[in-house]
Amino acid sequence: MAVASVRRNGNAHPLTKFLRQQGADFYLPMIGVIGFLVVWQILSSTKILSLPGPIQVFADERSRYLIFHPFYYNSPLDQGLARQTLISLTRVAQGYGLAAIVGITLGILVGTSKALNKSLDPIFQFLRMVAPLAWVPISLAALRQNEPAAIFVIFITSIWPILINTAVGVREIPQDYKNVSRVLRLSKKTFFLKILLPSALPYIFTGLRIAIGLAWLAIIAAEIVMSGVAGIGFFIWDAYQQNYVTEIIVAVVYIGAIGLILDRLVGFLQSKIAPANR
Amino acid sequence: MGVFVAVDQVEKVFDLTNGGQYLALKGIDLTIQKGEFISLIGHSGCGKSTLLNMIAGLDLPTSGVVTLEGQRVRQPGPDRMVVFQNYSLLPWLSVRENIALAVDEVLDHLTPAERRQIVESHIDLVGLRPHAHKPPTMLSGGQKQRVAIARALAIQPKLLLLDEPFGALDALTRGNLQEQLMKICEAQQVTAVMVTHDVDEAVLLSDRIVMLTNGPGSKIGGILEVDIPRPRQRMAVVEHPSYYSLRSEIIYFLNQQKRVKQLQARRKPAIARHGLEKTNLEIGFVPLTACAPIAIAYEKGFFAHHGLEEVSLVRESSWRGIVDGIAAGYLDAAQMPAGMPVWFTCGGHEEQPLPVVSALTLSRNGNGITLKKEFAEQGIRTLSDFHRYLLQTRDRPHRLGMVHASSMHNLLLRYWLAAGGIHPDQDVHLQTIPPAQMVADLRSGSIDGYCVGDPWNLRAAKEGVGFTIASDIDIWAGHPGKVLGVREDWAMAYPNTHIALVKALLDACRYCADPAHSEEIKQILSRKAYVATNPEYLELGVDQKGGPVHHLFFGDGVNRPSRTEHLWMMTQIARWGTIPFPRNWVEILERVCRVSVFSTAARELGLLDIKYRTGPIQLFDGTTFNADDPISYLNSLKIKHEVYMAEIPLNLPVPRAA
Repeated sequence: MAVASVRRNGNAHPLTKFLRQQGADFYLPMIGVIGFLVVWQILSSTKILSLPGPIQVFADERSRYLIFHPFYYNSPLDQGLARQTLISLTRVAQGYGLAAIVGITLGILVGTSKALNKSLDPIFQFLRMVAPLAWVPISLAALRQNEPAAIFVIFITSIWPILINTAVGVREIPQDYKNVSRVLRLSKKTFFLKILLPSALPYIFTGLRIAIGLAWLAIIAAEIVMSGVAGIGFFIWDAYQQNYVTEIIVAVVYIGAIGLILDRLVGFLQSKIAPANR
Repeated sequence: MGVFVAVDQVEKVFDLTNGGQYLALKGIDLTIQKGEFISLIGHSGCGKSTLLNMIAGLDLPTSGVVTLEGQRVRQPGPDRMVVFQNYSLLPWLSVRENIALAVDEVLDHLTPAERRQIVESHIDLVGLRPHAHKPPTMLSGGQKQRVAIARALAIQPKLLLLDEPFGALDALTRGNLQEQLMKICEAQQVTAVMVTHDVDEAVLLSDRIVMLTNGPGSKIGGILEVDIPRPRQRMAVVEHPSYYSLRSEIIYFLNQQKRVKQLQARRKPAIARHGLEKTNLEIGFVPLTACAPIAIAYEKGFFAHHGLEEVSLVRESSWRGIVDGIAAGYLDAAQMPAGMPVWFTCGGHEEQPLPVVSALTLSRNGNGITLKKEFAEQGIRTLSDFHRYLLQTRDRPHRLGMVHASSMHNLLLRYWLAAGGIHPDQDVHLQTIPPAQMVADLRSGSIDGYCVGDPWNLRAAKEGVGFTIASDIDIWAGHPGKVLGVREDWAMAYPNTHIALVKALLDACRYCADPAHSEEIKQILSRKAYVATNPEYLELGVDQKGGPVHHLFFGDGVNRPSRTEHLWMMTQIARWGTIPFPRNWVEILERVCRVSVFSTAARELGLLDIKYRTGPIQLFDGTTFNADDPISYLNSLKIKHEVYMAEIPLNLPVPRAA
């Protein structure tokens, strides 16, 4: 029996072998995606949805041009989607970077000081609940310029998970480690570098990972509202105003893909710097 | 060698989350010498880790002080390095970095090269050279703890504190690490305090073992000195004569703590019924053939018949358990060695006179002196043979076991030895051992003989490990064996209950004395709840030939408490220095011997014709003990401890608050 089954496996075509092995990881997602597209196509062809179906998106001249020419450049507001995305990403990088620096610093302070935590926590909890879009008018009114206002919106949206997770991470330093540092009378600097930071790192990364998703969400919202700045959010808004629905769908695919990539990127960094199975 | 660490009247109160307070430790006094290894042992939650943390400075006492070399401990510091139970290694640093972190921070006066050298030498010390570069997550539990020990030792602390260092390790690893730690401590003269759950670990490693009582308000319940010489070896220490007695001492203590907790939880207020003040009684006994009346009274319903409806029997493995139970008041009554009421009343227990009364003698005879089999092979058959043997082998220690200072076994054994010219404190060494352990100790060779109640003499003979050189009948036929003892305040608070108890037991004694019942009694006694032994080892020794009877439970002059006998025991206990001889001995005898309770009970049972013995006591060496002049009697004895006289102050009898 065993011999026979080995032979059957050995004789199988490499591709079938691959597919058999990767079955669950490869087939099923593919079936899901194709199924989704088919359902979408059926819904739009039967006019249940007034959205164009996937075939129309691909067939439409404007959207096909967008798909095949991601890097064209005509004017600041008329360029390829890859360029638009890059502009948005630059904004995210600025706002997110600022949020990470301020969030981690404040988080450590709040995490180490009970008094600070008590006095600031209500404000944090309150501000955290304000939706990204609600910040747009405030930041515009406060900063009067589109660019800094957009960066501020990203900053204010993505800082909370970083800050709160860092604070929790610092507060949750195991008592054992604290005892070690107390017994050894570690200096503040050694404690910070050798115990606090490494110990809180997994929490910090959890915050960073949640924040990158939020930052990406926020930039689209911000750009849609702040007319006249280049970027993928404004592109969608612009396309909507001109009723190019297929273009919007292409841009949405971009947004989703970028969001996914960003999340995985931070996840990858996390697995490299602060493995979870400590 | 001055005091190195002093814990002075330390108390620790924790605030609870619900706003209450928990008193963890109270009145802790402990001094530690330099180079000493101390273990703290006790049940979970007894505050031993808290005490360790207070020495470390991780926790501060609510009141009292801890000092190290005269300096008050206010905060943790590297001079008191702690080895934590869960290792507390930093997982993001390698083994080497973990040790180096401590060394670099603490020994910052050394050059980097010297520091590196210390780190490396300590990696070698614990044998982790092949793992030095690995993070702790890649090490086994034992290896992690070795890193923690290396880290602790590398910074050269004055005091090493170990919080259950080997608690989470498997037995084999634990054994190896104990040995390593012991070697390191001996080599480097480390002063250490270790918290542990493990009795063997404590005995192996420590110079002194501090036993903590259960919380709340844990105290030091006792400190044991471990007199096993160093260097010690794990496999060899078990052969040291002290090893098992230390071990059983700790286990006794821990069991007792657990029992006290259970009994206190069980303790109910007195239930008065049928004109009795208390019908729910806790009665203590020790598993011996002589516990038959208590077992029978329980099994055959004599207690219930006399209105004591909720009696529970508390089986103690040693007389010490009875002593603690009576002293702490969680036993209402107990089977006692005949001398114990006098011993209690004269301050034998912790030098605090505690009036205990006896209104019934439960059994007579039933004891014997057993020596190990090898002596018989060498032709030792009599007391004088034994004396000659002792004189020939003065270079060797001779250990004899007995069960309690106040028991007839001790008194008869000493009397017997002294009558043969052997001084029981100088020529031999008498050791207190629980009855059930005697045979095992005799077999292992840690004692040469013992005097104990049956079944343990018969059993040694039947198992071929010893022989009975003298039966108690040869020494004093009809001597009191076990008596019923209750505290005087108890007897005053529950007088009718006391009478009912004596009635029930007297009834049971009568039942036990009937040869027709002996098979049934043997069956009951052999059960696990009682003696837990093969019935053939149980010899009730009911009279068949008209000679002296082995176990006397009932009859003329058997059960009535006798002042003369109690006085004899008082003189004997005083003779060996356990208690002073009381100047007010007449008063004490009056208080201890409750003849009136016995008489009432006997009358109510319809035993009107029960006779009792009067007159002097005749012993095997021809001495007659006269109750009129005990002091001249004591003076006339040649072999004795220095006898001192004292007035024993007894409080006026006060009934215990019910």
